[in-house]
Amino acid sequence: MRCDWLRKDDTMTDDRMTNGTMRNQGACRRLKGAFREYFRGSGLPAAAKAVHRDRPVIAALKRRANQSLALVVVIASTVITASLCLLSAAAPAQAQNPTPAQTRQQMLEELDSGQLRDAVLLGQQAVSRWPRDAEFRHYLGVAYFKTGDLEQAQEQLTRARDLNPKDSATHFDLALVFLSQQDYVRGADELEAATKLDPTKALAHMLLGRAYLNSNRSLQAIEEFKTTLKLDPAMKLGHYHLGFAYFSLGRNDEAIGEYKEELRQSGESPVVVFELGHALLESGKYEAAVTYLLRATELDAPNPDVWYHLGKAQALAGQAAQAEPSLRKAVELNPKDPRPHYQLARVLEKLGKTDEARAERVRFAELKKAQPATAGMATGRDQ
Amino acid sequence: MRKLRVAVAAAFLLAALSMGINGGWILWANAQTAPKPPAPATKGPAAKPARSAQKPGDAKTSAANPPLFVDVTRAAGIDFHLNCGSREKLYIVETQCGGAAAFDYDNDGWMDILLVDGSSIEDYLAGKCHPPRLYHNNHDGTFTDVSAKSGLNFCGWGYGVAIGDYDNDGWEDVYITGFHGSALYHNNHDGTFTDVTAKAGVANPTEWGTSAAFGDYDNDGYLDLVVADYVDVDMKNLPPFGIGPFCQYRGIPVNCGPRGLKGARDRLFHNNGDGTFTDVTEKLNIDPDRYYGLGVLWLDYDKDGCLDLYIADDSSPSLLYHNNCKGGFTEVGAEAGVAYSSDGHEQAGMGIDSADYDRDGWPDIVKTNFSDDTKNLYHNDHNGEFTDMAGEAGIGAIGYPYLGFGVKFFDFDNDGWPDIFMANGHVDAQVEGQSFGIGYAERPFLFHNLGYQSKIGKFEEMAEKAGPALSKKYIGRAALTADFWNRGRQDLLFTNMDGSPVLLRNEVPSPGHWLRIKTIGSKSNRDGFGARIELTAEGSTRYAEVRAGSSFESSSDPRTHFGLGAATKVEAIVIRWPSGQVDKLGPEAADQELVVREGSGVIERKH
Repeated sequence: MRCDWLRKDDTMTDDRMTNGTMRNQGACRRLKGAFREYFRGSGLPAAAKAVHRDRPVIAALKRRANQSLALVVVIASTVITASLCLLSAAAPAQAQNPTPAQTRQQMLEELDSGQLRDAVLLGQQAVSRWPRDAEFRHYLGVAYFKTGDLEQAQEQLTRARDLNPKDSATHFDLALVFLSQQDYVRGADELEAATKLDPTKALAHMLLGRAYLNSNRSLQAIEEFKTTLKLDPAMKLGHYHLGFAYFSLGRNDEAIGEYKEELRQSGESPVVVFELGHALLESGKYEAAVTYLLRATELDAPNPDVWYHLGKAQALAGQAAQAEPSLRKAVELNPKDPRPHYQLARVLEKLGKTDEARAERVRFAELKKAQPATAGMATGRDQ
Repeated sequence: MRKLRVAVAAAFLLAALSMGINGGWILWANAQTAPKPPAPATKGPAAKPARSAQKPGDAKTSAANPPLFVDVTRAAGIDFHLNCGSREKLYIVETQCGGAAAFDYDNDGWMDILLVDGSSIEDYLAGKCHPPRLYHNNHDGTFTDVSAKSGLNFCGWGYGVAIGDYDNDGWEDVYITGFHGSALYHNNHDGTFTDVTAKAGVANPTEWGTSAAFGDYDNDGYLDLVVADYVDVDMKNLPPFGIGPFCQYRGIPVNCGPRGLKGARDRLFHNNGDGTFTDVTEKLNIDPDRYYGLGVLWLDYDKDGCLDLYIADDSSPSLLYHNNCKGGFTEVGAEAGVAYSSDGHEQAGMGIDSADYDRDGWPDIVKTNFSDDTKNLYHNDHNGEFTDMAGEAGIGAIGYPYLGFGVKFFDFDNDGWPDIFMANGHVDAQVEGQSFGIGYAERPFLFHNLGYQSKIGKFEEMAEKAGPALSKKYIGRAALTADFWNRGRQDLLFTNMDGSPVLLRNEVPSPGHWLRIKTIGSKSNRDGFGARIELTAEGSTRYAEVRAGSSFESSSDPRTHFGLGAATKVEAIVIRWPSGQVDKLGPEAADQELVVREGSGVIERKH
């Protein structure tokens, strides 16, 4: 089974996104793992930090509300606190009457330092004073984006783009908003504009490739990933994404080559090791698949998907005795996934454990029935 | 599913925010270094394994190496155009037409061609007929359209065809599947046919029949009939195009179904031996869940002398009915490993065929599926189970983006190792030009069995090396093999939606030797369908079963063809007839057709 989370389309309904939630849960883990890998070292998002900073204030207010003081006091305190905050935020601007350049500099500093609420407030004031300034709307959009307010971010970045359609950065940041909303088509549109205006940004090409892949434009995705690697041969996960795009088209040999290159360049990564093992498995290279999937279980032991594929590879490599514990581990980690039960039944049959095999088939049938009526959408039709 | 979406959204948000913490584009751009020089070239597509220069299959298309197959459709006089509704394929009924058969309707020893036409919604509702076309083989490489006088006056929306001598009179009869009405035509022995559907009781009037095949499941000497039925829809009230959850493909609107539509129940008709059939579907518990049937195959996978039945279903588990040799079946698809993909997922099964591709003496199965899915090559494990070897065999990855329909094992170079032909073509016209990496029209596959190189169980796809005809893209559906010119070579014919069929003459240079066996049952059914043949040449035994119906909506040359490679003679032939009769023949010289009558041995040799 292919890891096709990249190709899921946001326009699909739940009914069309079938083939079992279990596979998808595994895919999600890989997805998360991939992003963890990709952004390792970048720390928590600034938005999260900002929220954490405000929590003591909020908690203090709650505590006070729970005490015997009159609710009015609490409300008054809150209002006062809020007013002070607003005043303190507004005061410097009013006092100094900053120029647009000063305001820009301040916003950038606030964005950079994670003072997102301040950046939003400042941005709101700026766009109020200079409504035709694309840059302020761009900064405000980014500030909203960082706070997680995608709706406001989209609005401000769209207006910034309309005011200055030749700014590749605005297109890029607007694309990030669309991608975050799983609107890959519009995300790709913006990234196309960004890369057209500035074709030298490898990351933009990689994201464009991702957007293409997510909207099922595999051939275009491959071209973008290739461009990415031309611009930055060391781009982390560049070869991985290219390999995945090849794999989505059944070009397994090329996928395997890219995965190996990714490992060579970027070191061992659970998701890449897994996908390499998976591609080898789908290519009928069972012994090699077992090697990589075994390593994947060491790197990502809680992942049932890895155990499942290892068990499947072992079974196909004629290692039924080894496959049984692998598949049982997959069942243990995700008992509602029908796949390991299906494989396990076949393995147990080979091992002569007929009764256990029958029980696994029954369990498989039960799990299949328990899935939504549409869960049986045939492989390939569920795109 | 919700978890997936949340995870995907969260991941992108995480990605975006993480980039954002670096300043998004505005700050990130400042931190970027200048573009680095391009990476060293990564490796390209894997090199094809070197192959013996002497093998006919090695020929590449060039002046020195002529094409292996040549499109002779027009030259042969085949002027059929397949109608199948709108070109946009707005409704599911417009997506599956194109049945085809190769059979000798006039017993002159040459394979004739029958092509089933579809219709359009307007014509169907108006009662306008699109009868099938029957082409008589003129023995000189051309065919003559004899439809008008044939009496094959099927009027409806035709889909598939099955051929068999249901009344054992020595003349092949015709069954045409259709939408809410199929028809059986009795061969009158004079080039004409009579519609005997009503008398026979095989009208299948409320179902949409697709593939069908004759086989004698109870070994009573009369051919029974199985019909795969697909979807239960009302032609006057078809689900509107592109509206609803089952009318989208990769985010674009397409025709609806089959998911979301009520399935139609496959039908099994028992031949009563008096020109009538009894519908035993309910009695034998055939397809109680009304899966979306598309392909049918009679085979004896456990070699117990009783025909088993395999039905390829779309978007639902495929079904394998094990014959208990007592007049009943047990469905064992999941246990046998042929119901689901190797991951236990339903597949969109289309066409199926069987042969012993690795020459281990047991029948294996090939099955085509939807795009974004591997096609199945089920190896018979000799214990009632199959293992999908598509990946290892080399047909898995390359077939992944293609949507396969008709599929046939055949030995195109007579090297003694069954090769595979697949006709491909999507069901959604809207995929064309979408940059999905798939197309509506797709090139077919010609998988060359590398057994001759001692690479047992391995195939090399070589359609693009086989000449321009196999390099083109088609919207393929039915596919069949036949020796149309009685040259000891297996030719190809496949149908093409909204277009002409493609008749491909086998022009493999220096093919191997061959032997063909035409079976005539006496106690068994007259066609000898279901007979198992073991042929030994140069000390190596090949196994085959006699059948005509398989693939998708197709019926192939019923004569059993063996490639012999370098062997100029056959040491032994053993035929195990459905009746239990065993005939042992040989030795025989290669390069001839043997007509074998059950219990009498070879009654004619054709060179």
